[in-house]
Amino acid sequence: MKLTRRMFAKMLAGVSLAASSFVGLAHAADMPAPFDNPGDVKIALVRYLSTGDFFQAYLSGVERQSEALGVDLRVLDSRQDAALQADMVDQAIALGVDGIIVQHGLTESMQEAVQRAVDAGIKVVAFDVNVENPAVPQIEQSDRDLARLALEQAIADNGESWKAGYVYVPGIAPLDRRNETWVEFKERYPGIDEKAQFGTLDNPIANSNANQARSVLSANPDITVMFAPYDEFAKGVKIAVDEAGMTDQVSIYSADVSTSDIAAMREPNSAWKATAATNPAVVGEVSVRALAMMLAGEDPGASVVVPPTLITQKDLLEKDIKNMEELSEKLPQFAHAPVAVPDWMPLP
Amino acid sequence: MAGIPIKIRGLEKRFAANRVLRGVDLDIPAGKVTVLMGANGAGKSTLVKIICGLYEADAGEVFLNDEPFAPNTPSAALQAGIVTVHQNINDGVVPDLDVASNLMLDWLANPKSAPLLNPRRIRKSAEEIAAKLDLNFDMNSMVSDLTLADRQLVAIARAMAHSPKMMILDEPTSSLSAAEAERLFRLVEKLRESGVAILYISHRMSDIRRVADRIVSMRDGTIVGKYETAPLDYEGAVNDMLGHTMTDVNITVQAPGEKVLELTDVKLKPESQPINLTAHRNEVIAITGLVGVGKTQLSEVLFGQMAAAGGKVQLNGKPYAPNSARDAINQGVFLCAKDRGTNGVVQDFDINRNITLPFLSSLSSFGFVRRNAEYKITNAAIDKLGIVCQGANDEIGTLSGGNQQKVMVGRWLSHECDVLILDEPFQGVDIAARRDIGTKLRETAKDRATIVLVAELDEALEIADRILVMAEFTIVGEHKNEHVDVDLILEQVSGAAAAKDQQKQKEGAAR
Amino acid sequence: MSETRVNTKTMSLTDYAIRYGFVALLVGLVVYFSIAAEGFASPYSAVFIFQSVAITGILALGVTATLVVDGFDLSIGAVATSALMLSAYVMVVLEQSALVAVVACLLMGALVGLINGFLIVQMRVPDLLATLGMMFLLIGLQRIPTEGRSIATGMSLPDGSTAQGSFSPEFLALGRHRFDFFIDNLIPVSVVFLIVIAIGIWLFLEYTRYGRVMYAIGSNQRAASLAGVPVKKYKIIAYMISGVLASMGGILLAARLGRGDIASGNNLLLDSVAAALIGFAVLGAAKPNAFGTAIGALFVGILLQGLTMMNAPYYTQDFVKGGVLVVALMFTFALSNRR
Repeated sequence: MKLTRRMFAKMLAGVSLAASSFVGLAHAADMPAPFDNPGDVKIALVRYLSTGDFFQAYLSGVERQSEALGVDLRVLDSRQDAALQADMVDQAIALGVDGIIVQHGLTESMQEAVQRAVDAGIKVVAFDVNVENPAVPQIEQSDRDLARLALEQAIADNGESWKAGYVYVPGIAPLDRRNETWVEFKERYPGIDEKAQFGTLDNPIANSNANQARSVLSANPDITVMFAPYDEFAKGVKIAVDEAGMTDQVSIYSADVSTSDIAAMREPNSAWKATAATNPAVVGEVSVRALAMMLAGEDPGASVVVPPTLITQKDLLEKDIKNMEELSEKLPQFAHAPVAVPDWMPLP
Repeated sequence: MAGIPIKIRGLEKRFAANRVLRGVDLDIPAGKVTVLMGANGAGKSTLVKIICGLYEADAGEVFLNDEPFAPNTPSAALQAGIVTVHQNINDGVVPDLDVASNLMLDWLANPKSAPLLNPRRIRKSAEEIAAKLDLNFDMNSMVSDLTLADRQLVAIARAMAHSPKMMILDEPTSSLSAAEAERLFRLVEKLRESGVAILYISHRMSDIRRVADRIVSMRDGTIVGKYETAPLDYEGAVNDMLGHTMTDVNITVQAPGEKVLELTDVKLKPESQPINLTAHRNEVIAITGLVGVGKTQLSEVLFGQMAAAGGKVQLNGKPYAPNSARDAINQGVFLCAKDRGTNGVVQDFDINRNITLPFLSSLSSFGFVRRNAEYKITNAAIDKLGIVCQGANDEIGTLSGGNQQKVMVGRWLSHECDVLILDEPFQGVDIAARRDIGTKLRETAKDRATIVLVAELDEALEIADRILVMAEFTIVGEHKNEHVDVDLILEQVSGAAAAKDQQKQKEGAAR
Repeated sequence: MSETRVNTKTMSLTDYAIRYGFVALLVGLVVYFSIAAEGFASPYSAVFIFQSVAITGILALGVTATLVVDGFDLSIGAVATSALMLSAYVMVVLEQSALVAVVACLLMGALVGLINGFLIVQMRVPDLLATLGMMFLLIGLQRIPTEGRSIATGMSLPDGSTAQGSFSPEFLALGRHRFDFFIDNLIPVSVVFLIVIAIGIWLFLEYTRYGRVMYAIGSNQRAASLAGVPVKKYKIIAYMISGVLASMGGILLAARLGRGDIASGNNLLLDSVAAALIGFAVLGAAKPNAFGTAIGALFVGILLQGLTMMNAPYYTQDFVKGGVLVVALMFTFALSNRR
């Protein structure tokens, strides 16, 4: 069953990839206004979070798609300063941009700034921040789907009843959404027994969580599944499982992926069995495409969901995937998402 | 506007068991400069602090224009017309503001002032203040760019804006050059003419000669002498202040041994007169003089804390110019510094660790301190000086002042040296401990030259084979401690000789 | 006078409380958790507590050295994470051996300490400001070579190629090897490091003249200087000790994580400063000391281990750390006020 689903996904991805590249080639020359003269189109990326692999990759996706469209991209980076981020929206308005991508941030600080931009006739899309504005489509990596994919794999590998450890820090929006799925799964499968919940965001996050996971494992030596829906958590849990010598007993399921995560999953006898991830670069591309659709007068919909991909240890070993580049090459559904792709849209 | 704006009657103040003021009676008349003299600890600054609202008196009263006056804050005193210019010049100005803002600082700080600043008005008011005193400042320059003397003038000008009845100047010239001091004196004269009562506190005899209309001497918390009629008896005032009474310690002057330390034409300041001095083994030299005449600077030159402005020093016939305390110690010159609280005692350490601190390298093997060796030295020092304690591990803070001082002296006596300098070793020490320390210093003096720096003549007479007198950063007198002419020493301490020279120069110039 | 005499007995009781109160609290905690948390009282659990505090403990010992000379080092967390990145960079990108990586990290730590010391002693920058500046500098610097990415084998480099090196097994052994101690594979390398460094710093501070002189500087710098102590040199040495120990912490962190993680290290800084400050209260020392610092680190480790085992949520941890620190500071200052 697993196999068929994966094959199906692959086929779908292959078809859409072929289709979209064909479409891109065919129509790149005659795009709708204002992209008939793309050099005059200015868009701004206003960022709240920027350090870390995820955000680097996101930025590269935004850059790639902007290049493919030929538009002028300005990157404004507030480095986790909520007030500055709001100011930067005003700055972008003053720059006379046509469209703005808001990447993360706080609802409270961004809502008014985004409204000012919308009032100024600027098209806005938001990624991973709810600006409470009907004129602003949400770009989402579906956190619920991420958690669902990982947990489905856990059920497939371990059956419907096991003793679990769960890593969670409330108050972080994506983690909260992933948590909803976890709560659902526990209801649906009463055999899942949550023995312990822990987690911390003290950095280095992996190190702090390794310490906690060690305590949890020694208090609950019968845990067989660790659900750690954030790769830094999973990395910490893996260290603890290794140190406790429990690699044969415990399986780890997580969300998100990076080159070093791939290396950790590929280690011989690694307890890290699967992770579900959305390619942040693809999310970046989708953000730009959704904005471009709005500029061309089309409607991308109130929310644009970028579907996640399940990455298993088996995939990585069988296909000999060692880093993110090879992941994109060898799991095509990870490299592109057939979302927000009107006929005229050129793809990178 | 003559009269006596300030009258002080029976003022008393004690800190714990220490009676600092023991009934002070003093009048400060308008239009005159009253100089207050007194050794450290005589009670001058306590008196000033009561008048300017920092302390409250235990008994007695201050009258301002015959009204009882007891300010409970400095600003209350200021409002009443009593202005104090402190020794530390930077206390009186805000360096990061311009001159105009500094002059208007009290207006700026007043809650009743208008909230909006009008720079032009501020400047104008500030210029008026400066003009009253014939001062000519660039109102826009930053106070931090001014010289110390100019900053002081700014502070005084600012104080003058209150049209004070009385102004207290606490050692105002201590960081000024002679030319800068002269500007200050002219300002003081101006204030005197305008009828302000001026209380001027100073140790510098040259200042006192320049500005004093009357001199009041303080000692041990009481007024011991008043001199009001010209010509003022400066020596009498110094004598009162030092309270010299013949000491009952009898010194048998020792024959000096070989020459150890020789200073040739050493200058402590570029403009001061050179010092020539020779110290021998088996000799205790006391250098006496008022506070601020260069004794401490001399010790700093010899202990590598500052470079001399000129001349050369030889130690055992070789050139000696230490660049650090460590260097000096390694070459055999020890200094027991004054103010043990800041310069000597390590509060967190016990007696043992305080004593052995400078000598740890010789007391350790491979970096590890040899416990036996260090306790041997400490216990010997405790015995030798009769330090009253439970044992070598007593925290230094649990000892009395006298015993702490014995620990400091014991530290520097615990190892042999060529030259031992002690700067005010009897500071804050009771008479018994002072005798103990003195006896011990003389007993152990055989193989080294010992130089003791003291402000009080009594102490010098108690300990020295030879007494040198310092004034104005040079040595102005030398006396063998046998049948000493105390009056001559006092004359030299008070700088009478130097003053006569100055007088001659002035006359020469006039001619 | 007579009043103090009457009070002598109660005073000595307070003395007793101040001297042994913290150690008693520690023992009480261990007993409580042993009963309340299943699996707490086992050799594995004990070793794990040591392991969880090894890195912060080593950093805390470095801070202790700077506290002794009345200084402060805010840069240790950043030094540790810089060492983490540097070791990864040396092995993964430059493809050098474990030895080269370790030496490079230690040199980096010593150099940072030297620069801190130079800024503070020679340039007269206040210690908090100098090391704060150094902290930001390092947090930025560690990101420059990789353009802000974490370092792992196979990562793509700014020039487009992929990194081919990997963490060498010898290096990883620093984080993962365990020595036999009655039980096979019991004691991790990091714990051995912690114990050896703690004993070393304790000996250095308590029994060598260098440590003695550093305490003298911390208590009265001017008096120490006039006693012939080269104050500047010792201050610089204190910051170098702090830098080197922080880089050791970073090496152990890298060996445990097995990759070069971008991190500010601020939590490491705060935890280790807390351990050093808690150490003031141990045995009523009321001053920075190596033994107290080690106990302080253990204290925090035991609390966190016990609480996690009892399923206490994460936010209680900071609360508890803060509580311990406040109580410890009360002990310390109650003591120094009595002096």
